[in-house]
Amino acid sequence: MKNKMKYSDMDASLAIYLFKNKFKQGAVKFFSLVLILGLCFTIVYPILSLVPVIFSTVEDLGNPNVIWIPEEFSVVSFKAAIRLVMPQGFMTMVKSVLYAVGIMILQVFFSAMVGYSLARVKFWGRGLVFGMVILVFLLPRQSLLLAQYISFVHFDVLGIMNLFTKAGEVNLINNPVVLVLLAVFGFGVNQSLFIFLFSQFFKNIPKELEEASLIDGCGFYRTYFRIMLPNAVPIISTVGILSFVWNYGDTYYTNYFNPEGSYMSTLLSSTFISANKDYILNALRTWYDVPVATDLAFDAVKQAAVLIFLIPLLIVYLIGQRKLVENMENSGLVG
Amino acid sequence: MKKPNKKLSFRTMWKIHGLIFVSPFLIGFIAFFLLPLVNTIYYSLNNVGVGDQGGMTFEWTGIQNYIDLFQKEVTTTNTTMARLFTEENSTMLLSLPLIVVFSLFMALLANQKFKGRAIVRLLFFLPIILGIDVVMDMLTITTGGTTLDTGSNLLSGSYVTIFLVRTLNVPMRVLYPIMTYVENIFDLISQAGVQTLVYLTALQSISPSLYEVSKMEGATAYETFWKVTIPSIMNITFFVVIYTIVDLFLKSSIAEEAYAFAFTQGKIGVGSALSVVYMGNVILVLAIAALLLRKAVKKNEK
Repeated sequence: MKNKMKYSDMDASLAIYLFKNKFKQGAVKFFSLVLILGLCFTIVYPILSLVPVIFSTVEDLGNPNVIWIPEEFSVVSFKAAIRLVMPQGFMTMVKSVLYAVGIMILQVFFSAMVGYSLARVKFWGRGLVFGMVILVFLLPRQSLLLAQYISFVHFDVLGIMNLFTKAGEVNLINNPVVLVLLAVFGFGVNQSLFIFLFSQFFKNIPKELEEASLIDGCGFYRTYFRIMLPNAVPIISTVGILSFVWNYGDTYYTNYFNPEGSYMSTLLSSTFISANKDYILNALRTWYDVPVATDLAFDAVKQAAVLIFLIPLLIVYLIGQRKLVENMENSGLVG
Repeated sequence: MKKPNKKLSFRTMWKIHGLIFVSPFLIGFIAFFLLPLVNTIYYSLNNVGVGDQGGMTFEWTGIQNYIDLFQKEVTTTNTTMARLFTEENSTMLLSLPLIVVFSLFMALLANQKFKGRAIVRLLFFLPIILGIDVVMDMLTITTGGTTLDTGSNLLSGSYVTIFLVRTLNVPMRVLYPIMTYVENIFDLISQAGVQTLVYLTALQSISPSLYEVSKMEGATAYETFWKVTIPSIMNITFFVVIYTIVDLFLKSSIAEEAYAFAFTQGKIGVGSALSVVYMGNVILVLAIAALLLRKAVKKNEK
């Protein structure tokens, strides 16, 4: 009898303990779920809230009765946005994407080379070069804008330009060559960060791989291109995605060094400044015969343009997102 | 043909190849960093004009440009330089801890195991895209009406706020700063994309056995967080803080000011002086942050 009592007592306290534990866990889970849902909502909300604005007719925009579902479906804002931001139609977007892809390939190729050398080759002054990479990353690019700009206006490499032009210099502003030069020589968008990421990755590749390829008779370049690069696919895709996103959305380099290049990002930021509001509203009135176009219509067109601009980014993101987390883990940045 | 190669040992050849690989960056460093840096400092100490033949003329003025910058010149929005710098720095110092803590928080949430984690992660890293300057400008700055918003005016008119003020008598003075931060949460999220990604990978690389041990030893979740998680991610916090500072400085408006001085007003010297002061400012902030963090990192390593 006594024994039994004891057991049931223990059962009861155990049950209480287990219940408490379960309750605690459930509560924690519930709260974190609420938080996650809330955060997801805040992230998505700005984009969701665009949808009704873009798809409603211009007359409907100020209508307080319309919150989520427009009374009449219309794509006037979209049409206007396409006409404003994509002067050459679909080709403008293709051009911007191709530009971003091109710069991305250059950035990945050259950052990988520098990163590999920094990580695996003990050449003279390696620490110094590594310090340079960090320094370039730390100093904001704007602080050197003026001198860089002036050096591109009077571009001249050790007097070589004397051979080609009379003035002994060329004006490279508005010439896309500038952007290519910057990417090749390691000074594109956030490129020092990419170099750093590559070097951290290559540091963690086992040394045996290199030694094996050497014994099998590969030279320096074959070791790099045949063995090291194929093994670096995770970090290449991570840097590639980031580089594409940042180059496609870049307004700094494109705006200062190639302002007439008609990239979508610069077009977007230069078209929809508030000084342009009347022009855009007038255009809207005459193109699509909507006499009541108000300030709200300006916003609608603007948001439609943003959504169009985001399409390539969203596609890249949807394809690459899953890999991004996995790859970062292998990047050597952590641990 | 092979003779000169044989003189150099294998190791030296290897080093030369390494140098060849780094050479693009070295050339770039000299052409796009070192020369501009020297030039900027040189311009800032001179009165730079345009010569008759289109070249540039220099007239040594010492630190006159710096004095002018802070005493005479105003920004394009008519504030003084001193004020511009104070504003830039104070907003940066305020947002820095918020961004770092918030990205860690998001990473902790995303690291949990629950159904639909893939979708949540998909949404959580969306700020990497939405945080691009152009997109942010277009999404948040609206010239007309209130039909477009980033969820920012949801709170001030919400039942929660009314409940807190009316029923619980929470004074507005306390509520207001909290509300402004909550209302600007999208700003915060949009700046935390990369940092969240970095933190998440750091969290995933913590060995599960550490958590197992602490569970066996009877540590509460709170203790585990402070004794296991935080020390493990201290190193990466160093990186995140530095990255955040750099990122915040990149978004500042100083570049436009310098550009305006140089090419709208024709005062290249003053613009360069502004750039130099700005550089000094960035280095100072980074140095302070690095010193403080190094102490924290060392403490956790022991």
